[in-house]
Amino acid sequence: MNSMHDTAIEATTPTGSRPAARIGIGGPVGSGKTALIEALIPVLSARGIDLAVVTNDLVTKEDAERLRRSGLIDPARVSAVEAGACPHTVIREDPTLNMAAGDELEASFPGLELLIFESGGDNLASTFSLDLVDWWIFVIDVAGGDDIPRKKGPGVLRCDLLVINKTDLAPYVGVDLDAMLAEANSARGGRPIIATNARKGAGIAEVADAIQHAVLFTP
Amino acid sequence: MLSLLTVLQHADTAFPSGAFAFSNGLEGVSTLGRKIDRDALQDLVGSVLLHRWTPFDRVALARSHRAGTDLDALIAVDREVEIANVVEPLRTGSRRNAGALLAAHVRIGTPGAERLLGTIRSGGLVGHLTTVQGYLWRETGIAEGEALGISAYQTAGGLVAAAVRLGQLGAIDAQKVLAAVIPLAAEAAARSVEDWERLSSATPFMDIAVMRHARADLKLFAN
Repeated sequence: MNSMHDTAIEATTPTGSRPAARIGIGGPVGSGKTALIEALIPVLSARGIDLAVVTNDLVTKEDAERLRRSGLIDPARVSAVEAGACPHTVIREDPTLNMAAGDELEASFPGLELLIFESGGDNLASTFSLDLVDWWIFVIDVAGGDDIPRKKGPGVLRCDLLVINKTDLAPYVGVDLDAMLAEANSARGGRPIIATNARKGAGIAEVADAIQHAVLFTP
Repeated sequence: MLSLLTVLQHADTAFPSGAFAFSNGLEGVSTLGRKIDRDALQDLVGSVLLHRWTPFDRVALARSHRAGTDLDALIAVDREVEIANVVEPLRTGSRRNAGALLAAHVRIGTPGAERLLGTIRSGGLVGHLTTVQGYLWRETGIAEGEALGISAYQTAGGLVAAAVRLGQLGAIDAQKVLAAVIPLAAEAAARSVEDWERLSSATPFMDIAVMRHARADLKLFAN
């Protein structure tokens, strides 16, 4: 009898090397999560970081397809995980489908250093399980209203880095960006915040720096 | 009491397994234009329990549980699942759901989980849901009969939960449906699995629905 206890087959990390760091990017619908990833990929790649992405589209595979067709990344390095109508659940209460997708990417791409999990568009209560990621970003945008930091949702308060995106739109939506940043800083007790305009690349190098410093241990 | 609580832990939807993302055909049915009311849902769940779970999952799970650490026996039943499950979205769903369940057990440190993952990664096993459940639940100390009970309950409960999330009926009505089908699930799970039983299923309506769903652009569930 060939026994599961006798077999020499052992599960190891796919390469036997250090597992990839895993980060989450969450935030409300339309805040610019996918745009942020599109902006980060070339910056991180230029720094020699080997990365892959798992998206959690809620209804379609639009975000995954957008990244696959972007020309920024090998399409095979983008996985899509369905959220079963539960965008919270798939990143927090039951992140196992995301874990398995990440494991598969690590097995397929030995040497992978960074796995980015993009949450489906959600609300301010969205938070990532630390079983799934080592560190996570919450993305809001000025067009969503300058009162978002004041509402102190768990996503805004608990994330490791708060990104306030679409800063270029502030004058057109009646938002005082400096005041919004000050309120966010107060709500977060001084924890990191970066203002970005992902479409134009503003602030993206700082976000890449923060990722590298936090999970890739680059000074 | 220990065995009861162990069963509750592994049957609980709070146990991370990825199962919540699979409707196993119910989302496909929901797009056909007819509301799935209480009676319709009860008929669907009953049909799946009688004509898919009983002749297919029940047999595969029992044989996987009996295989224990006999890798050859586990491979045999796993391959039979791969061959006999002719509905591609259900076959793929079974593998993906198994991968998620196994990812949880590996991280929890369930005995044998890491070795099972290594065997799947090496191509020794395809890794279907009933194979992974049978192996891991046995390693956890869950008896065959209890494993069958968990599986039957999760099959019924998963369909009912999907119906609620799809807005087909409310959570109270959903529990009425579940209460109505639990005796059927219990009776099916209590039937002993004979060595001569082979895998089969006959749920053409759900099978067609899940294949239509696989081609849809808009969907909430993985199948």
